[in-house]
Amino acid sequence: MFSPQIPARVVEAYIGEYASGKSELAINRALELKYLGHKVTLVDLDTVEPFYTLRPIKQMLENKGLDVIGFSKEDAFGLGETGAMLNPAARWVLWREGDVILDIGYGVHGARTLNLVEGASESSELRVMAVINYSRPMTASRQGIIDYISNLGRVDAIVANTHLGDETTLEVIKRGNKAIIEVAKELDIPVDYMAVDRNFLQKINPEEFGVPVKFIKRYMPKAIW
Amino acid sequence: MATVVPATPKSWYLPSKPHKFCPGCGHGIVLKALGEAIDELEIQDKTIFGCDIGCSLLSWNFFACDTTQTHHGRTTPVMVGIKRSRPELITVGYMGDGGGYSIGSQHLVNAAVRNEKVTLILVNNTNYGMTGGQMAPTTLPEQITETTPYGRDPELTGYPTKGPEFIAQLTPDSAYVARATVAKYKQLKRFIKNALRNQIEGNGFSFVEVLSTCPTNWRTNAQQTWHFLEDEMEPNFPVGEIKSPFGKGDK
Amino acid sequence: MPKVITESKKAFMTGNETAAWAALVSGADIMFGYPITPQNEIMHYWTRLAPKYGRGFLQTEDEISAGFTVCGSVQSGKKAFTATAGPGNVLMQEPFGMAEAMRLPVLAIIQQRGGPSSGTVVYSQQEVTLTTFGGNGEGHRIVYSTATHQEIYDYVIKGFNTAWKYRFPTFVLGDGYQAKMREPLEIYPPEERGIKMVDTYPLIGLEGSIRAGEREPQHLCNIYSLEEELYEVVLKNAADYEAICPELIEFEEKHCEDAELIVVSHGVVSRAADDAVKALRAQGIKAGYFRPITLRPYPAEQLKAAIAKSGAKKLLVAESSYGQFYRLTRQEIYGETVKIETLFKPGVGIIDYDIVNKIKSII
Repeated sequence: MFSPQIPARVVEAYIGEYASGKSELAINRALELKYLGHKVTLVDLDTVEPFYTLRPIKQMLENKGLDVIGFSKEDAFGLGETGAMLNPAARWVLWREGDVILDIGYGVHGARTLNLVEGASESSELRVMAVINYSRPMTASRQGIIDYISNLGRVDAIVANTHLGDETTLEVIKRGNKAIIEVAKELDIPVDYMAVDRNFLQKINPEEFGVPVKFIKRYMPKAIW
Repeated sequence: MATVVPATPKSWYLPSKPHKFCPGCGHGIVLKALGEAIDELEIQDKTIFGCDIGCSLLSWNFFACDTTQTHHGRTTPVMVGIKRSRPELITVGYMGDGGGYSIGSQHLVNAAVRNEKVTLILVNNTNYGMTGGQMAPTTLPEQITETTPYGRDPELTGYPTKGPEFIAQLTPDSAYVARATVAKYKQLKRFIKNALRNQIEGNGFSFVEVLSTCPTNWRTNAQQTWHFLEDEMEPNFPVGEIKSPFGKGDK
Repeated sequence: MPKVITESKKAFMTGNETAAWAALVSGADIMFGYPITPQNEIMHYWTRLAPKYGRGFLQTEDEISAGFTVCGSVQSGKKAFTATAGPGNVLMQEPFGMAEAMRLPVLAIIQQRGGPSSGTVVYSQQEVTLTTFGGNGEGHRIVYSTATHQEIYDYVIKGFNTAWKYRFPTFVLGDGYQAKMREPLEIYPPEERGIKMVDTYPLIGLEGSIRAGEREPQHLCNIYSLEEELYEVVLKNAADYEAICPELIEFEEKHCEDAELIVVSHGVVSRAADDAVKALRAQGIKAGYFRPITLRPYPAEQLKAAIAKSGAKKLLVAESSYGQFYRLTRQEIYGETVKIETLFKPGVGIIDYDIVNKIKSII
């Protein structure tokens, strides 16, 4: 039976400030969809930062059943300043079947990076998700978030991802994410969900926030070059 | 069903293909023109190819010619060293706008003044591509880059460098100086062949700047990319032969 | 002009970013720089933030220029700084030499990458020799080797003060891993911690009219006609430098009251050494930990004292280079009879496991 509310497929682009958690959330989202039985392609669109991209963990993610578009560490090996490199397959990724999750690197151009993906601006399926960590100095205040979001370009939803790495506490998460949710209301942008480390599984009450909570596992610490 | 193999210049090194330049990058076009020029002039065995640091670095194993990667901005002096020691070799230095007009400008200017018999090809895409899109000497006014997040202010950082114009002023009449664009392939190849010819005939310095595309750092789709190249860059950087010992300038 | 940070708070940041923010809160007036991986984000963040606080920036034509523009800026009395790595550090030795000779308070953040030559863009500890004794001088420099983002923040602030108080070129020596890693730290306005920023003053462009006889013109130079003149200058700089060494030296030591072997390391490798020593002690192996924080001046007496009190028969020098820190250490503790073992991994990261295994094989 066809239900008009169910989208044909999931196409999400994760953008955000440097080190805001885009790659981590893109990976978790891709794996979540995989476990639901979908075919999923994860795309590395990081063209500024040579470290902390999906490259070193490409194989591991492929072993979990994801199609990963991006160069692996070995492909980039020996090339020195291997910052900006774009796998040609990334350009046509929306033509593939199945869900597509895009990890858009940081950079002054924000969401305009999606110009590099054919069909992105015309796509009705695409949702641009802005990831915000309230512990990052540039987005650590109402004004900071507003300024940042207004410079990003297209934003369809916000994902609240406040954390302090190994020093994260419940207080940090609550304070930060509540602030983000407030600003989102002010800007009239929906908050798709709040991302929280799995360690806090029993300790967060979603009703306190009014948005869905997703518990995530961290893969990126393995991804430093 | 037979596989269709694209026609590639004989001077290309097939094991390193497909190359790693980004989709939509102009380097592939320039290097194809250079490869065809090397084939047509039959100089593959005596061509020494030098590349810089930056995206030009990705061409270090591109040709089936002896190649050396140098340091950022130091391709010119390395080519000069080779040419002065082994004049029978044809030295081709390949660099970007950063390696040529910024850190390498001192070497470029001096090689031009001395009329060194090397051929330098400088690919201009208005930014430092490989390191993530910082401002370059050829960045246009108002253009946004990682180090001009609010747009390039020419009052603060100057106007875009017009290299071939000042190189032409510094060189004697036996030098060849031109600016090409990846939007006009036949002309690009002709200019590169003329540049190489200038070295082969032992006349003097030869320099070709090529206007090229960088959709990755410009964050442009196909249409926007060509628009930027043809409608924004070209008016700032006029295309044509600025100086040629081979007769009237070709516009 | 808005205040950069009004009160201290915890933040989750990357190393490069931390350096930029620290320079901002230190009151740095201007940054000169040139793109080179892995320190580009220092420029990226500075260019975004600086205009909001009335600070300046110029991307120069290369690193030689970046170093000399900083020299000029500090001569004029402004708090200037730069950042670089690898081949850029090599190029900056010329301007750093001028800073040594003319006692200019230059601050540079170095994010080491693989070498020699273009090496890798990633990581190493192969710029120790260059940063401590580069150029054609006598190494009259102050070098802080940081291991955490908190230290990057703290030592950039301290670095400006050290440079302006003692007037020797000062360096914060990090590496590509520190530049890019993400971790929490506390960012604070220096005043909140009772840190007063040292006043700057110009060497040229001073107040008062020369023409009206209010002051003499300043004639600065770094070249001399006679060997004896140079000799006097170098000896004076050496004397000034040696006089301040005791108050500048910083180091960290653990478990050196009784140790059979002391692991000597610096920078990010010391984090692995710290974990390794903890693990070994838990297994009943008496390992000690010694970490110079200032590589120049080197805590030589302190290391000798640690060797003496611990009774250690061996040192293990662990570094991501092929002996640069080892040579520095050896020359500083000359005369010690302790055997020095080495763990050299040029351009490659060292984890606690590497150190534990090495120690088990030699003890």
